[in-house]
Amino acid sequence: MSKYFTNIYDTVSTLWTGMRITWRHMMNIKRDNVTLQYPEERWPRPERNIGFEHADYNVIRSRLHVDIDDCIGCLKCERACPVDCIKINTIKAPNRGEDIPEIKHTGVTSNDTRKAMVVSRFTIDMSECCYCNLCTYPCPEECIFMVGGPNNEKHNIDYEFSEFDRNDLIYQFAKSITSEQKDTLKNPIPEVEA
Amino acid sequence: MGVVHGDQMILNIGPQHPSTHGVLRLEVKTDGEIVSEVKPHIGYLHRCFEKHSENVTYEQVIPFTDRCDYLAAMNSNFGYVVAMEELMEIKVPERVDFIRVIMGELNRIASHLLALGVYGLDVGAFTPFLYMLRDRERILDMFEYTCGARLLYNYMWVGGVSHDLPKDFVKICGDFLDYFEPQISEYNELLTYNKIFIERTADVGVLPADVAVSFGVTGPNLRGSGVKWDVRKDEPYSIYDRFDFDVPTGTGEFGTVGDCFDRYWVRMLEVKESVKILRQALKDIPDGDVHQAIPKKIRPPKGSVYRRTESPRGDLGYYIISDGTPVASRVKMRSPAFTALSVLDEISRGWMISDVIAILGSLDIVLGEIDR
Repeated sequence: MSKYFTNIYDTVSTLWTGMRITWRHMMNIKRDNVTLQYPEERWPRPERNIGFEHADYNVIRSRLHVDIDDCIGCLKCERACPVDCIKINTIKAPNRGEDIPEIKHTGVTSNDTRKAMVVSRFTIDMSECCYCNLCTYPCPEECIFMVGGPNNEKHNIDYEFSEFDRNDLIYQFAKSITSEQKDTLKNPIPEVEA
Repeated sequence: MGVVHGDQMILNIGPQHPSTHGVLRLEVKTDGEIVSEVKPHIGYLHRCFEKHSENVTYEQVIPFTDRCDYLAAMNSNFGYVVAMEELMEIKVPERVDFIRVIMGELNRIASHLLALGVYGLDVGAFTPFLYMLRDRERILDMFEYTCGARLLYNYMWVGGVSHDLPKDFVKICGDFLDYFEPQISEYNELLTYNKIFIERTADVGVLPADVAVSFGVTGPNLRGSGVKWDVRKDEPYSIYDRFDFDVPTGTGEFGTVGDCFDRYWVRMLEVKESVKILRQALKDIPDGDVHQAIPKKIRPPKGSVYRRTESPRGDLGYYIISDGTPVASRVKMRSPAFTALSVLDEISRGWMISDVIAILGSLDIVLGEIDR
Protein backbone atom coordinates (compact mmCIF):
# COMPACT_ATOMS: atom_id res chain seq x y z
CA MET A 1 0.00 0.00 0.00
CA SER A 2 2.75 2.40 0.97
CA LYS A 3 4.54 1.49 -2.31
CA TYR A 4 1.49 2.62 -4.21
CA PHE A 5 1.63 6.08 -2.66
CA THR A 6 5.41 6.26 -2.94
CA ASN A 7 5.10 5.60 -6.66
CA ILE A 8 2.55 8.36 -7.04
CA TYR A 9 4.72 10.72 -5.03
CA ASP A 10 7.82 9.85 -7.09
CA THR A 11 6.00 10.31 -10.37
CA VAL A 12 4.57 13.68 -9.43
CA SER A 13 7.83 14.97 -7.94
CA THR A 14 10.03 13.91 -10.88
CA LEU A 15 7.49 15.26 -13.32
CA TRP A 16 7.56 18.51 -11.39
CA THR A 17 11.37 18.59 -11.61
CA GLY A 18 11.16 18.15 -15.35
CA MET A 19 8.49 20.78 -15.73
CA ARG A 20 10.59 23.21 -13.68
CA ILE A 21 13.54 22.79 -16.04
CA THR A 22 11.31 23.30 -19.06
CA TRP A 23 9.77 26.34 -17.43
CA ARG A 24 13.17 27.81 -16.66
CA HIS A 25 14.17 27.48 -20.31
CA MET A 26 10.88 28.98 -21.39
CA MET A 27 11.44 32.01 -19.20
CA ASN A 28 14.94 32.48 -20.65
CA ILE A 29 13.60 32.38 -24.17
CA LYS A 30 15.79 35.29 -25.29
CA ARG A 31 18.96 33.56 -24.18
CA ASP A 32 18.11 29.95 -24.90
CA ASN A 33 16.38 30.38 -28.20
CA VAL A 34 18.34 28.42 -30.78
CA THR A 35 15.83 28.24 -33.61
CA LEU A 36 16.67 30.28 -36.68
CA GLN A 37 13.89 31.59 -38.86
CA TYR A 38 15.63 30.19 -41.88
CA PRO A 39 14.81 32.21 -44.98
CA GLU A 40 15.05 35.46 -43.03
CA GLU A 41 17.99 34.53 -40.84
CA ARG A 42 20.94 32.41 -41.86
CA TRP A 43 23.49 30.58 -39.82
CA PRO A 44 26.87 32.21 -40.36
CA ARG A 45 29.18 29.89 -42.24
CA PRO A 46 32.48 29.37 -40.50
CA GLU A 47 35.37 30.99 -42.29
CA ARG A 48 38.95 30.20 -41.56
CA ASN A 49 42.36 29.94 -43.06
CA ILE A 50 43.45 26.34 -43.33
CA GLY A 51 47.06 27.14 -43.98
CA PHE A 52 47.36 26.72 -47.76
CA GLU A 53 48.99 29.54 -49.67
CA HIS A 54 45.72 31.03 -50.81
CA ALA A 55 44.64 33.74 -48.46
CA ASP A 56 41.07 33.23 -47.30
CA TYR A 57 40.86 29.61 -48.27
CA ASN A 58 37.61 28.60 -46.68
CA VAL A 59 36.83 25.11 -45.55
CA ILE A 60 33.42 24.56 -46.98
CA ARG A 61 31.58 21.79 -48.76
CA SER A 62 29.47 23.43 -51.37
CA ARG A 63 29.17 23.19 -55.11
CA LEU A 64 32.25 22.61 -57.18
CA HIS A 65 33.74 25.26 -59.38
CA VAL A 66 36.46 25.07 -62.00
CA ASP A 67 38.57 27.94 -63.25
CA ILE A 68 38.72 26.53 -66.75
CA ASP A 69 41.44 28.95 -67.89
CA ASP A 70 43.77 27.32 -65.38
CA CYS A 71 42.80 23.74 -66.20
CA ILE A 72 45.53 21.77 -67.99
CA GLY A 73 43.38 18.68 -68.59
CA CYS A 74 45.47 16.30 -66.49
CA LEU A 75 42.37 14.26 -65.49
CA LYS A 76 43.57 13.89 -61.91
CA CYS A 77 40.27 15.09 -60.47
CA GLU A 78 38.33 12.74 -62.73
CA ARG A 79 40.34 9.81 -61.42
CA ALA A 80 40.04 10.89 -57.79
CA CYS A 81 36.24 11.07 -57.85
CA PRO A 82 34.74 8.02 -56.13
CA VAL A 83 31.34 8.45 -57.80
CA ASP A 84 32.56 9.45 -61.28
CA CYS A 85 30.61 12.67 -61.48
CA ILE A 86 33.41 14.58 -63.24
CA LYS A 87 33.81 13.96 -66.97
CA ILE A 88 36.59 15.51 -68.99
CA ASN A 89 37.47 15.21 -72.67
CA THR A 90 40.64 16.71 -74.04
CA ILE A 91 42.18 17.30 -77.44
CA LYS A 92 45.89 17.66 -77.92
CA ALA A 93 46.72 21.27 -78.58
CA PRO A 94 48.56 21.91 -81.87
CA ASN A 95 51.23 24.04 -80.22
CA ARG A 96 51.98 23.74 -76.54
CA GLY A 97 51.42 26.93 -74.57
CA GLU A 98 49.93 28.97 -77.41
CA ASP A 99 46.63 30.78 -77.36
CA ILE A 100 43.92 29.71 -79.78
CA PRO A 101 41.67 32.77 -80.05
CA GLU A 102 38.94 31.04 -82.12
CA ILE A 103 37.93 28.86 -79.19
CA LYS A 104 39.10 31.32 -76.51
CA HIS A 105 41.76 28.88 -75.37
CA THR A 106 44.54 30.40 -73.30
CA GLY A 107 47.90 28.74 -73.54
CA VAL A 108 49.39 29.53 -70.16
CA THR A 109 47.79 29.15 -66.74
CA SER A 110 48.07 31.63 -63.91
CA ASN A 111 50.84 29.41 -62.45
CA ASP A 112 52.79 29.82 -65.74
CA THR A 113 52.22 26.23 -66.79
CA ARG A 114 52.09 25.80 -70.55
CA LYS A 115 49.02 23.83 -71.47
CA ALA A 116 49.37 20.85 -73.78
CA MET A 117 45.67 20.04 -73.94
CA VAL A 118 42.53 21.81 -75.01
CA VAL A 119 39.69 20.88 -72.68
CA SER A 120 36.72 20.27 -74.94
CA ARG A 121 34.40 18.97 -72.27
CA PHE A 122 34.38 19.48 -68.51
CA THR A 123 31.13 18.58 -66.82
CA ILE A 124 30.40 18.02 -63.17
CA ASP A 125 27.11 16.41 -62.25
CA MET A 126 26.38 18.02 -58.89
CA SER A 127 23.43 15.74 -58.30
CA GLU A 128 25.87 12.83 -58.18
CA CYS A 129 28.53 14.62 -56.16
CA CYS A 130 29.09 13.20 -52.67
CA TYR A 131 30.92 16.31 -51.40
CA CYS A 132 33.94 14.32 -50.29
CA ASN A 133 36.34 17.01 -51.56
CA LEU A 134 38.74 14.35 -52.89
CA CYS A 135 38.95 15.98 -56.33
CA THR A 136 40.26 19.30 -55.02
CA TYR A 137 43.45 17.97 -53.42
CA PRO A 138 45.32 16.38 -56.36
CA CYS A 139 44.78 19.35 -58.73
CA PRO A 140 48.25 20.68 -59.61
CA GLU A 141 46.90 24.10 -60.64
CA GLU A 142 44.35 24.31 -57.80
CA CYS A 143 41.68 25.29 -60.26
CA ILE A 144 38.93 22.94 -59.04
CA PHE A 145 37.50 23.78 -55.64
CA MET A 146 34.35 23.85 -53.64
CA VAL A 147 32.92 27.36 -53.99
CA GLY A 148 34.46 29.36 -51.21
CA GLY A 149 37.86 27.92 -51.93
CA PRO A 150 40.58 29.94 -53.63
CA ASN A 151 39.51 33.12 -55.41
CA ASN A 152 36.89 33.56 -52.81
CA GLU A 153 35.95 37.08 -53.86
CA LYS A 154 34.82 35.99 -57.27
CA HIS A 155 32.30 33.41 -56.08
CA ASN A 156 29.61 33.70 -53.52
CA ILE A 157 29.47 30.82 -51.08
CA ASP A 158 26.17 29.25 -51.87
CA TYR A 159 24.51 26.19 -50.51
CA GLU A 160 21.10 26.73 -52.02
CA PHE A 161 21.40 25.49 -55.57
CA SER A 162 18.27 23.51 -56.19
CA GLU A 163 17.01 23.37 -59.75
CA PHE A 164 13.71 22.44 -61.33
CA ASP A 165 15.37 20.34 -64.01
CA ARG A 166 17.89 17.69 -63.09
CA ASN A 167 19.96 18.48 -66.17
CA ASP A 168 20.56 21.99 -64.86
CA LEU A 169 22.65 20.43 -62.11
CA ILE A 170 25.16 19.18 -64.67
CA TYR A 171 27.58 22.07 -64.74
CA GLN A 172 29.48 22.74 -67.96
CA PHE A 173 32.80 24.45 -67.49
CA ALA A 174 34.56 23.94 -70.81
CA LYS A 175 34.30 26.65 -73.43
CA SER A 176 31.94 25.79 -76.22
CA ILE A 177 33.72 24.28 -79.20
CA THR A 178 31.86 23.44 -82.40
CA SER A 179 32.42 20.09 -84.05
CA GLU A 180 34.24 21.70 -87.01
CA GLN A 181 36.62 23.44 -84.64
CA LYS A 182 37.16 20.08 -82.94
CA ASP A 183 37.99 18.48 -86.27
CA THR A 184 40.50 21.17 -87.14
CA LEU A 185 42.11 20.75 -83.74
CA LYS A 186 42.35 17.00 -84.18
CA ASN A 187 43.61 17.13 -87.78
CA PRO A 188 45.46 20.41 -88.07
CA ILE A 189 45.97 21.57 -91.65
CA PRO A 190 49.69 21.20 -92.32
CA GLU A 191 51.32 24.50 -93.06
CA VAL A 192 52.61 24.72 -96.61
CA GLU A 193 56.28 25.43 -96.63
CA ALA A 194 57.26 28.25 -98.95
CA MET B 1 -9.42 -26.18 -18.46
CA GLY B 2 -6.04 -25.75 -20.08
CA VAL B 3 -4.42 -22.53 -21.17
CA VAL B 4 -6.34 -20.99 -24.04
CA HIS B 5 -4.13 -19.93 -26.93
CA GLY B 6 -5.63 -17.40 -29.27
CA ASP B 7 -4.68 -17.12 -32.89
CA GLN B 8 -1.30 -15.60 -33.53
CA MET B 9 -1.28 -12.34 -35.41
CA ILE B 10 1.59 -11.12 -37.52
CA LEU B 11 2.22 -7.41 -37.21
CA ASN B 12 4.60 -5.50 -39.41
CA ILE B 13 6.45 -2.60 -37.83
CA GLY B 14 8.17 -0.52 -40.46
CA PRO B 15 9.90 -0.16 -42.93
CA GLN B 16 8.76 3.42 -42.54
CA HIS B 17 8.23 3.84 -38.84
CA PRO B 18 9.84 6.47 -36.63
CA SER B 19 10.68 3.94 -33.93
CA THR B 20 12.69 1.64 -36.17
CA HIS B 21 15.44 4.29 -36.52
CA GLY B 22 15.77 3.90 -40.25
CA VAL B 23 14.34 1.55 -42.81
CA LEU B 24 13.89 -1.66 -40.87
CA ARG B 25 10.91 -4.01 -40.97
CA LEU B 26 10.08 -5.99 -37.89
CA GLU B 27 7.80 -8.94 -38.41
CA VAL B 28 6.30 -9.38 -34.98
CA LYS B 29 4.26 -12.46 -34.08
CA THR B 30 1.88 -11.53 -31.35
CA ASP B 31 -0.57 -13.32 -29.14
CA GLY B 32 -2.84 -10.55 -28.08
CA GLU B 33 -0.31 -7.96 -27.10
CA ILE B 34 2.36 -10.42 -26.00
CA VAL B 35 5.20 -10.77 -28.47
CA SER B 36 6.22 -14.34 -29.20
CA GLU B 37 8.69 -13.75 -32.01
CA VAL B 38 10.42 -10.79 -33.64
CA LYS B 39 11.94 -11.25 -37.05
CA PRO B 40 13.92 -8.26 -38.35
CA HIS B 41 14.01 -7.86 -42.11
CA ILE B 42 16.98 -5.83 -43.21
CA GLY B 43 18.50 -4.79 -46.50
CA TYR B 44 16.43 -1.72 -47.33
CA LEU B 45 19.50 0.48 -47.08
CA HIS B 46 21.94 -1.89 -48.76
CA ARG B 47 24.39 0.17 -50.82
CA CYS B 48 27.05 -2.41 -51.66
CA PHE B 49 29.73 -0.82 -49.53
CA GLU B 50 31.93 -3.90 -49.55
CA LYS B 51 31.57 -4.53 -53.27
CA HIS B 52 32.15 -0.86 -54.07
CA SER B 53 35.34 -0.96 -52.03
CA GLU B 54 36.73 -3.61 -54.35
CA ASN B 55 36.35 -1.25 -57.30
CA VAL B 56 37.69 2.06 -56.01
CA THR B 57 41.10 2.98 -54.68
CA TYR B 58 41.87 2.85 -50.97
CA GLU B 59 41.40 6.55 -50.35
CA GLN B 60 38.11 6.58 -52.22
CA VAL B 61 36.71 4.03 -49.75
CA ILE B 62 36.83 6.60 -46.94
CA PRO B 63 33.77 8.61 -48.14
CA PHE B 64 31.87 5.33 -48.28
CA THR B 65 32.78 4.44 -44.70
CA ASP B 66 31.24 7.78 -43.71
CA ARG B 67 27.97 6.67 -45.12
CA CYS B 68 27.88 3.38 -43.25
CA ASP B 69 27.59 4.76 -39.76
CA TYR B 70 26.32 8.21 -40.60
CA LEU B 71 25.79 9.20 -36.97
CA ALA B 72 29.43 8.61 -36.07
CA ALA B 73 31.22 9.05 -39.37
CA MET B 74 34.46 10.14 -37.69
CA ASN B 75 34.64 6.83 -35.84
CA SER B 76 33.95 4.94 -39.06
CA ASN B 77 36.81 6.79 -40.74
CA PHE B 78 38.97 6.19 -37.71
CA GLY B 79 38.59 2.42 -37.85
CA TYR B 80 39.37 2.26 -41.55
CA VAL B 81 42.46 4.46 -41.43
CA VAL B 82 43.83 2.69 -38.36
CA ALA B 83 43.46 -0.64 -40.17
CA MET B 84 45.09 0.76 -43.31
CA GLU B 85 48.00 2.21 -41.35
CA GLU B 86 48.56 -1.14 -39.68
CA LEU B 87 48.61 -2.79 -43.10
CA MET B 88 51.01 -0.22 -44.58
CA GLU B 89 53.06 0.17 -41.38
CA ILE B 90 52.74 3.94 -41.31
CA LYS B 91 53.62 5.81 -38.15
CA VAL B 92 51.50 8.92 -37.98
CA PRO B 93 52.64 12.12 -36.24
CA GLU B 94 51.53 12.59 -32.67
CA ARG B 95 49.36 15.58 -33.48
CA VAL B 96 47.36 13.50 -35.93
CA ASP B 97 46.71 10.90 -33.24
CA PHE B 98 45.51 13.59 -30.87
CA ILE B 99 43.27 15.19 -33.49
CA ARG B 100 41.77 11.81 -34.29
CA VAL B 101 41.05 11.04 -30.66
CA ILE B 102 39.48 14.48 -30.18
CA MET B 103 37.29 14.07 -33.25
CA GLY B 104 36.39 10.50 -32.36
CA GLU B 105 35.34 11.38 -28.85
CA LEU B 106 33.41 14.46 -29.97
CA ASN B 107 31.56 12.29 -32.43
CA ARG B 108 30.94 9.70 -29.74
CA ILE B 109 29.28 12.39 -27.64
CA ALA B 110 27.23 13.54 -30.64
CA SER B 111 26.16 10.00 -31.46
CA HIS B 112 25.27 9.14 -27.87
CA LEU B 113 23.34 12.39 -27.50
CA LEU B 114 21.21 11.44 -30.47
CA ALA B 115 20.80 7.89 -29.17
CA LEU B 116 19.73 9.08 -25.72
CA GLY B 117 17.44 11.78 -27.05
CA VAL B 118 15.75 9.50 -29.54
CA TYR B 119 15.39 6.86 -26.85
CA GLY B 120 13.49 9.39 -24.78
CA LEU B 121 11.37 10.05 -27.84
CA ASP B 122 10.69 6.33 -28.25
CA VAL B 123 9.33 5.95 -24.75
CA GLY B 124 7.38 9.19 -24.89
CA ALA B 125 9.56 12.04 -23.61
CA PHE B 126 9.89 14.76 -26.19
CA THR B 127 11.70 17.61 -24.42
CA PRO B 128 15.07 15.90 -23.70
CA PHE B 129 15.36 15.12 -27.39
CA LEU B 130 15.29 18.82 -28.24
CA TYR B 131 17.83 19.72 -25.59
CA MET B 132 20.20 16.97 -26.64
CA LEU B 133 19.96 17.83 -30.30
CA ARG B 134 20.66 21.45 -29.47
CA ASP B 135 23.98 20.45 -27.91
CA ARG B 136 24.73 17.94 -30.66
CA GLU B 137 24.33 20.81 -33.09
CA ARG B 138 27.21 22.63 -31.40
CA ILE B 139 29.46 19.62 -31.91
CA LEU B 140 28.49 19.49 -35.58
CA ASP B 141 29.33 23.20 -35.83
CA MET B 142 32.80 22.42 -34.56
CA PHE B 143 33.17 19.72 -37.20
CA GLU B 144 32.04 22.15 -39.86
CA TYR B 145 34.57 24.65 -38.63
CA THR B 146 37.29 22.02 -38.84
CA CYS B 147 36.63 20.25 -42.11
CA GLY B 148 33.65 21.93 -43.75
CA ALA B 149 31.21 19.05 -43.44
CA ARG B 150 28.65 18.46 -40.76
CA LEU B 151 27.83 14.76 -41.07
CA LEU B 152 29.91 12.97 -43.72
CA TYR B 153 33.39 14.24 -43.16
CA ASN B 154 35.99 12.31 -45.13
CA TYR B 155 38.26 13.94 -42.56
CA MET B 156 40.68 11.20 -41.59
CA TRP B 157 43.04 10.07 -44.28
CA VAL B 158 45.48 7.23 -44.39
CA GLY B 159 48.51 8.74 -42.68
CA GLY B 160 46.94 11.96 -41.51
CA VAL B 161 43.88 14.16 -41.52
CA SER B 162 42.61 16.36 -44.32
CA HIS B 163 42.89 19.71 -42.53
CA ASP B 164 44.73 20.82 -39.46
CA LEU B 165 42.65 22.03 -36.54
CA PRO B 166 41.76 25.73 -36.64
CA LYS B 167 43.99 27.85 -34.47
CA ASP B 168 41.31 28.61 -31.90
CA PHE B 169 39.81 25.11 -31.88
CA VAL B 170 41.23 24.20 -28.47
CA LYS B 171 39.53 27.21 -26.95
CA ILE B 172 36.23 26.61 -28.75
CA CYS B 173 36.19 22.96 -27.74
CA GLY B 174 37.11 23.83 -24.16
CA ASP B 175 34.28 26.37 -24.02
CA PHE B 176 31.91 23.75 -25.32
CA LEU B 177 32.98 21.23 -22.69
CA ASP B 178 32.57 23.84 -19.93
CA TYR B 179 29.09 24.50 -21.21
CA PHE B 180 28.26 20.86 -21.81
CA GLU B 181 29.24 19.22 -18.53
CA PRO B 182 26.51 20.90 -16.42
CA GLN B 183 24.01 20.00 -19.13
CA ILE B 184 24.50 16.30 -18.39
CA SER B 185 23.01 16.70 -14.93
CA GLU B 186 20.13 18.58 -16.49
CA TYR B 187 19.45 15.64 -18.81
CA ASN B 188 19.54 13.35 -15.80
CA GLU B 189 17.02 15.44 -13.93
CA LEU B 190 14.84 15.75 -16.97
CA LEU B 191 14.85 12.19 -18.23
CA THR B 192 16.97 9.68 -16.33
CA TYR B 193 15.41 10.03 -12.89
CA ASN B 194 11.94 10.52 -14.23
CA LYS B 195 9.69 7.89 -12.66
CA ILE B 196 7.75 7.26 -15.86
CA PHE B 197 10.95 6.73 -17.81
CA ILE B 198 12.29 4.34 -15.18
CA GLU B 199 9.06 2.37 -15.20
CA ARG B 200 9.20 2.06 -18.96
CA THR B 201 12.83 0.89 -19.07
CA ALA B 202 13.90 -0.75 -15.80
CA ASP B 203 13.57 -4.55 -15.77
CA VAL B 204 12.48 -4.47 -19.42
CA GLY B 205 14.34 -6.48 -22.06
CA VAL B 206 16.98 -7.95 -19.82
CA LEU B 207 20.05 -9.01 -21.79
CA PRO B 208 22.09 -11.39 -19.60
CA ALA B 209 25.84 -11.22 -19.98
CA ASP B 210 26.22 -14.77 -21.34
CA VAL B 211 23.57 -14.20 -24.01
CA ALA B 212 25.22 -10.91 -24.98
CA VAL B 213 28.62 -12.56 -25.30
CA SER B 214 27.31 -15.53 -27.27
CA PHE B 215 25.54 -13.24 -29.73
CA GLY B 216 28.66 -11.11 -30.13
CA VAL B 217 27.00 -7.97 -28.83
CA THR B 218 29.56 -5.26 -28.15
CA GLY B 219 29.82 -1.69 -27.07
CA PRO B 220 27.43 -0.01 -24.63
CA ASN B 221 24.94 -2.86 -25.04
CA LEU B 222 27.49 -5.36 -23.74
CA ARG B 223 28.70 -3.05 -21.00
CA GLY B 224 25.10 -2.51 -19.96
CA SER B 225 25.01 -6.23 -19.19
CA GLY B 226 27.88 -5.79 -16.79
CA VAL B 227 30.75 -7.01 -18.95
CA LYS B 228 33.72 -4.67 -18.75
CA TRP B 229 34.93 -4.75 -22.33
CA ASP B 230 36.07 -1.72 -24.22
CA VAL B 231 38.46 -1.92 -27.15
CA ARG B 232 39.90 1.45 -26.20
CA LYS B 233 40.99 -0.04 -22.88
CA ASP B 234 41.54 -3.71 -23.55
CA GLU B 235 43.14 -3.56 -26.97
CA PRO B 236 44.27 0.05 -27.27
CA TYR B 237 44.67 1.51 -30.72
CA SER B 238 45.96 4.96 -31.68
CA ILE B 239 46.91 6.66 -28.40
CA TYR B 240 44.02 5.61 -26.20
CA ASP B 241 46.41 3.92 -23.76
CA ARG B 242 47.65 7.36 -22.67
CA PHE B 243 44.35 8.64 -21.39
CA ASP B 244 42.86 8.02 -18.01
CA PHE B 245 39.21 7.05 -18.21
CA ASP B 246 36.85 4.50 -16.75
CA VAL B 247 34.76 1.91 -18.54
CA PRO B 248 31.26 2.28 -17.11
CA THR B 249 29.21 -0.89 -16.79
CA GLY B 250 25.60 -1.53 -15.97
CA THR B 251 24.84 -2.09 -12.31
CA GLY B 252 21.10 -2.58 -12.40
CA GLU B 253 20.48 0.71 -10.66
CA PHE B 254 16.69 0.52 -10.80
CA GLY B 255 16.16 -3.05 -11.92
CA THR B 256 18.13 -6.00 -13.21
CA VAL B 257 21.62 -5.82 -14.68
CA GLY B 258 21.32 -5.66 -18.46
CA ASP B 259 17.90 -4.08 -18.76
CA CYS B 260 17.04 -1.19 -21.04
CA PHE B 261 17.76 1.34 -18.35
CA ASP B 262 21.31 0.01 -17.92
CA ARG B 263 22.04 0.31 -21.61
CA TYR B 264 20.73 3.86 -21.55
CA TRP B 265 22.64 4.71 -18.39
CA VAL B 266 25.94 3.32 -19.68
CA ARG B 267 25.67 5.68 -22.64
CA MET B 268 25.09 8.62 -20.36
CA LEU B 269 28.13 7.68 -18.27
CA GLU B 270 30.18 7.19 -21.42
CA VAL B 271 29.46 10.75 -22.47
CA LYS B 272 31.02 11.86 -19.20
CA GLU B 273 34.07 9.67 -19.84
CA SER B 274 34.42 11.14 -23.33
CA VAL B 275 34.44 14.63 -21.83
CA LYS B 276 37.22 13.44 -19.53
CA ILE B 277 39.28 12.12 -22.47
CA LEU B 278 38.68 15.31 -24.42
CA ARG B 279 39.94 17.50 -21.60
CA GLN B 280 43.16 15.48 -21.36
CA ALA B 281 43.64 15.46 -25.12
CA LEU B 282 43.06 19.21 -25.46
CA LYS B 283 45.58 19.86 -22.72
CA ASP B 284 48.39 17.77 -24.22
CA ILE B 285 47.92 18.32 -27.96
CA PRO B 286 51.35 18.89 -29.54
CA ASP B 287 52.21 20.93 -32.61
CA GLY B 288 53.16 19.35 -35.88
CA ASP B 289 52.38 18.85 -39.52
CA VAL B 290 49.29 16.76 -40.16
CA HIS B 291 50.13 16.00 -43.79
CA GLN B 292 53.66 14.75 -43.19
CA ALA B 293 52.99 10.99 -43.12
CA ILE B 294 50.42 10.86 -45.91
CA PRO B 295 51.79 8.50 -48.58
CA LYS B 296 51.95 9.79 -52.14
CA LYS B 297 50.43 6.63 -53.50
CA ILE B 298 48.50 4.20 -51.38
CA ARG B 299 49.69 0.80 -52.48
CA PRO B 300 49.87 -1.54 -49.51
CA PRO B 301 51.97 -4.71 -49.66
CA LYS B 302 50.32 -8.07 -50.14
CA GLY B 303 48.64 -9.25 -47.02
CA SER B 304 45.63 -8.73 -44.85
CA VAL B 305 44.74 -6.94 -41.65
CA TYR B 306 41.92 -7.04 -39.18
CA ARG B 307 41.68 -4.12 -36.81
CA ARG B 308 38.84 -3.33 -34.51
CA THR B 309 38.07 -0.01 -32.95
CA GLU B 310 35.50 1.20 -30.51
CA SER B 311 32.78 3.10 -32.33
CA PRO B 312 29.86 4.49 -30.30
CA ARG B 313 27.99 1.30 -31.13
CA GLY B 314 30.70 -1.20 -30.28
CA ASP B 315 33.52 -3.12 -31.94
CA LEU B 316 33.85 -1.78 -35.45
CA GLY B 317 36.21 -4.05 -37.30
CA TYR B 318 37.70 -3.73 -40.76
CA TYR B 319 39.19 -6.71 -42.52
CA ILE B 320 41.20 -5.59 -45.53
CA ILE B 321 42.89 -7.94 -47.98
CA SER B 322 45.44 -6.33 -50.26
CA ASP B 323 46.89 -7.92 -53.36
CA GLY B 324 49.51 -5.25 -53.90
CA THR B 325 47.46 -3.09 -56.27
CA PRO B 326 45.95 0.34 -55.47
CA VAL B 327 42.53 -1.31 -55.24
CA ALA B 328 41.56 -3.52 -52.32
CA SER B 329 40.93 -7.17 -52.98
CA ARG B 330 38.35 -7.35 -50.21
CA VAL B 331 37.10 -5.00 -47.52
CA LYS B 332 34.92 -6.49 -44.83
CA MET B 333 33.29 -4.39 -42.18
CA ARG B 334 32.23 -5.96 -38.92
CA SER B 335 29.22 -3.99 -37.90
CA PRO B 336 28.42 -3.68 -34.18
CA ALA B 337 24.82 -2.65 -34.82
CA PHE B 338 24.19 -5.86 -36.77
CA THR B 339 24.94 -8.07 -33.79
CA ALA B 340 22.91 -5.76 -31.57
CA LEU B 341 19.92 -6.21 -33.85
CA SER B 342 20.36 -9.98 -33.95
CA VAL B 343 19.82 -10.21 -30.21
CA LEU B 344 16.47 -8.40 -30.44
CA ASP B 345 14.43 -11.56 -30.98
CA GLU B 346 16.02 -13.26 -27.98
CA ILE B 347 15.35 -10.50 -25.47
CA SER B 348 11.99 -9.21 -26.62
CA ARG B 349 10.03 -12.49 -26.43
CA GLY B 350 7.30 -12.33 -23.86
CA TRP B 351 7.18 -8.55 -23.70
CA MET B 352 4.46 -6.23 -24.98
CA ILE B 353 4.63 -4.55 -28.36
CA SER B 354 5.36 -1.18 -26.78
CA ASP B 355 8.26 -2.78 -24.90
CA VAL B 356 9.72 -4.03 -28.18
CA ILE B 357 10.00 -0.39 -29.23
CA ALA B 358 11.74 0.43 -25.97
CA ILE B 359 14.12 -2.54 -26.38
CA LEU B 360 14.91 -1.69 -30.00
CA GLY B 361 15.61 1.94 -29.06
CA SER B 362 17.92 0.90 -26.24
CA LEU B 363 20.05 -1.16 -28.65
CA ASP B 364 20.85 2.04 -30.62
CA ILE B 365 21.10 0.60 -34.09
CA VAL B 366 22.04 2.48 -37.25
CA LEU B 367 20.59 0.87 -40.33
CA GLY B 368 23.21 2.30 -42.64
CA GLU B 369 25.78 0.20 -40.83
CA ILE B 370 23.66 -2.95 -40.63
CA ASP B 371 22.86 -3.05 -44.34
CA ARG B 372 26.11 -1.38 -45.50
